[in-house]
Amino acid sequence: MENNNHLNPFLKAIEDLGVSYEMAPNPQETSVFLGVGAEPLDFKTFLKDIPCQDACPAKTNVPAYIEAIAQGDPDKAYLINQEDNVFSGVLGRVCSRPCEDACRHNWTGTAGPVHICHLKRSASDYKENPPKPLPSWFEDTAKKVAVIGGGPAGLTAARELRRYGHGVTIFERDSVLGGMMVQGIPVFRLPRETVEAEVKAIVDSGIEVKCNTGVDAALMERIMQDYDAVLVAVGAVNPSNLKLPGLPGDGHTIPGLKFMYDYNMGLIGDMKGQNVIIVGGGFTAVDCARSCARAAKRLVGAEGTVTIMYRRTEAQMSADPDEINQMRLEEIEVETLMNPLSARTENGKLVAVTFQRNALDEEQSEGGKPRIHAIPGTEEEYPCDLLIMAIGQTRQLSILPQGVSQTEGHHTTHENIFVAGDFNYGSFDVITAVNDGKEVADKIDAHLMGRVRRKKHIAISFMDTNGETGRVRDHDIQFPVQMPKLPLPERDGTAEVELGHTADGTHIHATRCYFCHYKFEIDQDACIHCDWCIGVAPRDCINRVSRLFHDDDGVVTSSLEANLAEETTYIWIDSDECVRCGKCLRVCPTAAITMRKMEMCSCSTAELEEKQKDNVPYGAFKYEKFK
Amino acid sequence: MQWTLGKRLVSEDEIIKDQGLFLDYDEIARKGSMTAEEKNISKWYGIYTSRQPGNHMARIVIPGGVLTSSQARRIAKVAEDYAQGKLAITTRQCVQLHWLKIPSLADMVRSLAEDSISTFHGCGDVTRNVAGCPLAETCQFRRFNVLPHVKETARLLTEARDLDNLPRKFKITFSGCGAGCAQPFINCIGIVAVQRKTPLGDDEFGFKVMIGGGMGWAPFIGQELFSFVPPEKMARVNRAIAQLFRDYGERRDRSFARLKFVVHRRGIEECRRIVLKFLQDEGVDVDDLETEDFEETGVDYPDRPLLEQNPVGTDGKVTVRAMVPKGELTHLAFKRMAEISEIYGNKRVYLTNRQNIEIHGVKPGKVDEASAEIRQIGFDTDGFFGLRDIVPCVGTTYCPKAVTETRSLYDLLMPVVSQSKYREIWDKALINITGCPNSCSPYRIADIGFRGMRIRETVGSTEAYEMRIGGKHDRLGSKLGEFKKEDCAPALERILDTFLDLRRGDETLADCAERLGL
Repeated sequence: MENNNHLNPFLKAIEDLGVSYEMAPNPQETSVFLGVGAEPLDFKTFLKDIPCQDACPAKTNVPAYIEAIAQGDPDKAYLINQEDNVFSGVLGRVCSRPCEDACRHNWTGTAGPVHICHLKRSASDYKENPPKPLPSWFEDTAKKVAVIGGGPAGLTAARELRRYGHGVTIFERDSVLGGMMVQGIPVFRLPRETVEAEVKAIVDSGIEVKCNTGVDAALMERIMQDYDAVLVAVGAVNPSNLKLPGLPGDGHTIPGLKFMYDYNMGLIGDMKGQNVIIVGGGFTAVDCARSCARAAKRLVGAEGTVTIMYRRTEAQMSADPDEINQMRLEEIEVETLMNPLSARTENGKLVAVTFQRNALDEEQSEGGKPRIHAIPGTEEEYPCDLLIMAIGQTRQLSILPQGVSQTEGHHTTHENIFVAGDFNYGSFDVITAVNDGKEVADKIDAHLMGRVRRKKHIAISFMDTNGETGRVRDHDIQFPVQMPKLPLPERDGTAEVELGHTADGTHIHATRCYFCHYKFEIDQDACIHCDWCIGVAPRDCINRVSRLFHDDDGVVTSSLEANLAEETTYIWIDSDECVRCGKCLRVCPTAAITMRKMEMCSCSTAELEEKQKDNVPYGAFKYEKFK
Repeated sequence: MQWTLGKRLVSEDEIIKDQGLFLDYDEIARKGSMTAEEKNISKWYGIYTSRQPGNHMARIVIPGGVLTSSQARRIAKVAEDYAQGKLAITTRQCVQLHWLKIPSLADMVRSLAEDSISTFHGCGDVTRNVAGCPLAETCQFRRFNVLPHVKETARLLTEARDLDNLPRKFKITFSGCGAGCAQPFINCIGIVAVQRKTPLGDDEFGFKVMIGGGMGWAPFIGQELFSFVPPEKMARVNRAIAQLFRDYGERRDRSFARLKFVVHRRGIEECRRIVLKFLQDEGVDVDDLETEDFEETGVDYPDRPLLEQNPVGTDGKVTVRAMVPKGELTHLAFKRMAEISEIYGNKRVYLTNRQNIEIHGVKPGKVDEASAEIRQIGFDTDGFFGLRDIVPCVGTTYCPKAVTETRSLYDLLMPVVSQSKYREIWDKALINITGCPNSCSPYRIADIGFRGMRIRETVGSTEAYEMRIGGKHDRLGSKLGEFKKEDCAPALERILDTFLDLRRGDETLADCAERLGL
């Protein structure tokens, strides 16, 4: 009887008392406590907790790479980015940054989001090793895939297919790989060495490249025979055009993309003294304007004007406020709510374009932008020597073989032909193209191998650091310094304007990040409602809660706050408010609060099954804060 | 804030402390309120904010728990004048006054000073009240009188301005023998008087020193630092240990800022080396500080001398004990106890760590008379030491940290333990109730301990207690379960019934539980 707790008479006496209580369930925010979770609950909780990663089309592991930067390891940060978004040096400069719009710093505070994009660039700038090819996931499969188009989508798909073990050949019409990254984006925004290095890391993984190879019907026929699958990712390169009455023949109006291609290839001569008007409000229009300002020597005070004419307002332009500011500095006029009506020529040469003013309607058009209507009687003539139409591009669908057309998603009516990138959904940005390339690679592999070979999951690990994430509350209220820019007189046609954050600036921006991938959670069975965590909470992040409301997958969607101790069912950490300072964990007297790290990973299905064997369910793990 | 980030290695409290530890209560009275920083620093003056807004608590420092009768009268008067006539005895032998208002704080401090008592260093990150056996002077089991050493250590450490800013609180206790009435194993420094024979056959006295004990959220039993310290060096050793804590204690995270974590993290050997270094630096000869075990001599002591009724002291006089329910009394009762000590005793009032009052030096023939006088006040004088002397902390009645109202559990348990069937085990078990894991009433070292918590229901939650049994002064109890408040009394009854059935001889509940393998 001695030393046997089950038979201890004191314990037995208590057992005989038969006390048992009906309790509200212990809420669980992930399907497993530690290990790998692959349930909808895990993904939903994960993406709810980390809004920037949710907003990123390529689901870049933002908090992990920013944490690596904060810890002084840019190489690690670069690797995380390379894995997730392939062209991190490029995207660190030109990304459309949906992540920053979603950053939790926007929810409260006025200092703006963490500079997620520029931190990507800092990682690229400060890393010590040049980008290297990533390791393959599988042995060679002896299958061959042709990728037509060497732009972001095509290159990404090629890299991923190579890692799947397939042989890949890229067919590129131009002399260099990179697509819009080298043809469309001006070199003063994106140095070509950055693109070259990152493209090289892809090609070096063992991809065959055929440049200067435009694919026509005959070549397509041969490709169809020689390869097991074909990916068409040739982008959207047909410029949209606008017919203006009074325009002479060719020579005086030029599509935006064509202008950028010529500019980037050094084909644009001196435009000194010219009055240039760019019609449009997208990335291309802005790039054209800034390129023109350089070609026309506007930056050093030459005569002439560069004007963007956009039919809506600045709020609907693709350029961010910082870039619009830079355009102002570069003496580029931005005229909004302007619609071209007609052109006037003298001696066969364009001299002026007449614009009419628009007004915004309240209702939205399909694209989410407000509708516009013209205001009669507001016509005005603007002098113009060169008119650039940067009003978008459409896809050249004729590249698909006769009788083949696009169906749902990446598929076509021919089972071996896939589409991706701008050619899939129309002209858009680099990060979306990267994601599309990854997605189509998964589909092509599944098609070639007859099964899904890799799966995503949420890896949840325990952090035994006494709640330390490396950040304190003071990090939230740092002043976010702006990125240094090249002085105006030095902005020639090629020098990069944005110089990248300094080491100090990088650290400030990196430590502003809340590190949302850390999850602080209270084990309600261990919580004794002492409220000490509420006492040390830096903001309204821990609450007394009487009810929690879940959706069908079990994700907590909202809660009902309690005022009195009697009404309090749970002490609840609101992850949306949590700044990951770890104070609550450190003060908790019963070690009910734990800190875990969540990361979205993918691995082979076999590995996933193996990992799931080591899963630790809720309740099986007891945190001992002080052993 | 950016510029501080690089050097920020300490908690917010440390930054406040660095700005100075001076407060002027007259100025605060004129101002009418205290800032957050002033509230923090106010702890050094023994003054805390209370759960009730606008009210304050003051803790009067009483080394060893010994007051002269005039000091006791003074405290009674201060309680009457400023604290609604109420006072409370703590488990570290202090007196707490609740219900103090800001305008009266300065007057209260001045009034206390007239009888050489103060609240200075009653709270805050300093050496707190130095505790000791209440029976230190005359206990028949004691090795020697430790009270002078209590006072010497208290004086040396309170007057040392270089020990004003410790990482957190620092607690010292002296016991006159190994019975551990003063709980040496759960204090930062636990000091036990020892006696041995020299090779020549003479009696030699000294102290055994334990450090790194503590309750709270992470309980530790103290470890032996020295097996023998000559009494005259004890205060200097205490100072060196305080220096160890000051320089090596955690200053970043206050939940780890206790000496017990220093000892746990660095190990007792490393701590001993540092303490010896501090002593040598201040010119103390450390050759006669011993770490080897030796055979102790001296009279045998019982498990719990504190439970003996009306013990006779070495001077042939008797100690009369008064049980103060929940440790709370009125100024009239306290003043009356001072008067009784003047009439029957040695004109001193002794406070115990079970929140009771003792009158020492009563002539054997006057015991009944003195006891009757005490009962007149309303305090029990016999048959309560142990089971019926339940010690609750103040709980949610005053304390902002507490989770439960411990006083109401006291009222629920009292009828259970008062049943006549338990008369034979009344002195065999102690019960402590604490309202939160801070363990102001050390529930883990009581035979039966309750710690406040809340248990959630389908919606909302209710007061509950974690119940432990089997603790004694050098051993932590084991958890039995978690019970809603109303289930605690039946659970206690089950445990006591089981103990009644299974006990052997004179063993205490803790010993019985240990024997049965809990």
